[in-house]
Amino acid sequence: MAITTTSNLGPVILQSLAPAMLYTPTPMFIYNIPTDKVTMPRQGGTTMRFLRPRALTPPTVQLGNSGIEPPSQVPQRDIIDAQMAFFGTSCIINEQVILQDQDPVLAWVSDRLAVAMRQAEDIILRDYIMSAAAVVNCDGGSNGDNPTEISVSDVSLVSQILDSENAMKFMSGIEGDLKFGTAPVRSAYFMLANTAIESDLDALIGSGFKSVWDYPSNSSALPAEYGSILNFRILVSSQAASLANASMNGRTVYYNTVLGKQAVTHIDQDGYSMQLIYRDPYFSGALAQNATLAVKFAQSQAITQDSAIGLLASTNRS
Amino acid sequence: MEYSKLASGQLTVSATGIQQAVTLPFIPDFIEISNSTRAAAASGVTKAWWMTDMGQGASFVTTTGAGPADGTSFISASTGGGFSTFTANSPALGASIQISGITKASAAVVTTGSNHGLATGDVVILTGLFQSSTTGMPQISNMPFVITRTGATTFTIPWNTNQSNYTALSGSPTGAFVRKVLYPYLYFPGVNYISSISTGAVSTTITTTSNHNLVVGSQVDFFIPSQWGSVELTYPATGQPQSISAYVTAVNSAVSVTLALNSSAITAFNSNPTVAQALAGLTPPQMITIGDNNSGAVTNAYLPTTIGAATVGGAFQTNTRQGFIVGASVIGTASDVVYWRAYAHDMNT
Repeated sequence: MAITTTSNLGPVILQSLAPAMLYTPTPMFIYNIPTDKVTMPRQGGTTMRFLRPRALTPPTVQLGNSGIEPPSQVPQRDIIDAQMAFFGTSCIINEQVILQDQDPVLAWVSDRLAVAMRQAEDIILRDYIMSAAAVVNCDGGSNGDNPTEISVSDVSLVSQILDSENAMKFMSGIEGDLKFGTAPVRSAYFMLANTAIESDLDALIGSGFKSVWDYPSNSSALPAEYGSILNFRILVSSQAASLANASMNGRTVYYNTVLGKQAVTHIDQDGYSMQLIYRDPYFSGALAQNATLAVKFAQSQAITQDSAIGLLASTNRS
Repeated sequence: MEYSKLASGQLTVSATGIQQAVTLPFIPDFIEISNSTRAAAASGVTKAWWMTDMGQGASFVTTTGAGPADGTSFISASTGGGFSTFTANSPALGASIQISGITKASAAVVTTGSNHGLATGDVVILTGLFQSSTTGMPQISNMPFVITRTGATTFTIPWNTNQSNYTALSGSPTGAFVRKVLYPYLYFPGVNYISSISTGAVSTTITTTSNHNLVVGSQVDFFIPSQWGSVELTYPATGQPQSISAYVTAVNSAVSVTLALNSSAITAFNSNPTVAQALAGLTPPQMITIGDNNSGAVTNAYLPTTIGAATVGGAFQTNTRQGFIVGASVIGTASDVVYWRAYAHDMNT
């Protein structure tokens, strides 16, 4: 008896499209998390200006009974300016793609454009901080390079520097809990680090580094959070600041950004913070063949508390 | 609706045989130049053109008169020196070039083992500066230096190595490399590394290792670790925790500013830390830009030219850019007038 199989009566159409698209590997966007947010008003010029009052001298010497008044102080302020810049990108999609492709092209291209825009926002902040913040080279490690790999003594030094400069911490403390092997995480500064130093941080477990898995509760932990050392909660990203071949011995240098409140301010533009633009093929010429999808945004950034930020430069242990 | 991009213009060659960049709002896939000066002189490259399919660094070249023989020749991408495109958007270092020696001098002379292709004004980072495991110049590694080209294999850096704790490099030490900072000053003004401090009761002059990009009215403060002296600029002797800030009152050059700062009582700046200090871990001395007190567009001849709108002098600015580079083999002679056009076509098959 002949058996009919797919070899002699195969499916007319061999493939079916899976119901959902796969995710696109995307770095964590960590640089915008600890920034202050300010909006540039419309018709507000090209530049955002920040003012910071300087401290006045505390009057700690008594007046006495002479009736003579001490000299008055002159209040002063520091001024910080940041110029707006405009960014954007686009895709041109022939209508035949929209017409004939099985997948929702306009939907996922829009999604990717939006992610690209947010990624640009993060990269711009990262590169600006790399150019403008003071650098402290790790020297507590043992790899013989300058900078060395990160150590608890290096983190302790930058913690001391920030504390001595009266930087403010982020009040995001995770309360302690009566569970074995856990301890509370205090209000803290942030450290923005590259995933490439995770193994160096793991080597410090038991010496001062607490993994996010050992937090009393992970409900307040951020998705990008890897752990904490001393006064720092550490967020990691694969696109965090680094420069290849830049150390004394030619290793990659990782610029771990340490910062407190208001250290960096991100400025967006009123009415322009993110625009996703779709133009129907109707607008593309006589034969109306091409649709366009685009994103554009305006952004500026400024270090608004220079005493509350630094780059703790490190290399890998090996 | 057409999506192609067309741009044209002219440039004046800054230096003979040194590549030059043209900034555009797009990346071109076709570039053409015409050198009117070479044509009038009947000598050299009169025309060159490039298409993206030829590869970065390639070019068709038309020459005339003395030097290369009359005719049209082709520079391959592997040979280089033709046209290339660039996107200056993130910090990056160029290829490693072996250092064969560095002198003890003020300014130090760096000699490379091959043609370095650098131009005056380029910024470099030096690494692996060991003559032996305990001698050499590792103190100045990992700092950006703006160079002055003195020859195809030599340039100087603005640092005085003619001091007791530096040993001259020679014999192409293993691991001693120079790398070009491909896109310096992407965001400015930024942090600057200090090469010298001249103190005074009324004013203080700071010299930096690369362009400071400051203007009159810029406000700066300092982070100077103890190995470099002058710690009072970071931690004032009065015991106040905050570092000293000062305003720029004069821009003396691309690498020198004068500040309204009484520094007569501070410890002298020390550009001569020991190799042992470098091996133990050495953070460079830094001048940090923290603001400005300007209300208008204060500028000077040393600032980068950006594509952004006018802003207040001293404001933090973005200097990312893209365009094309006219390579060393086709750029021509200093002061030549070169007309260019660049396209990004709708279609390439």
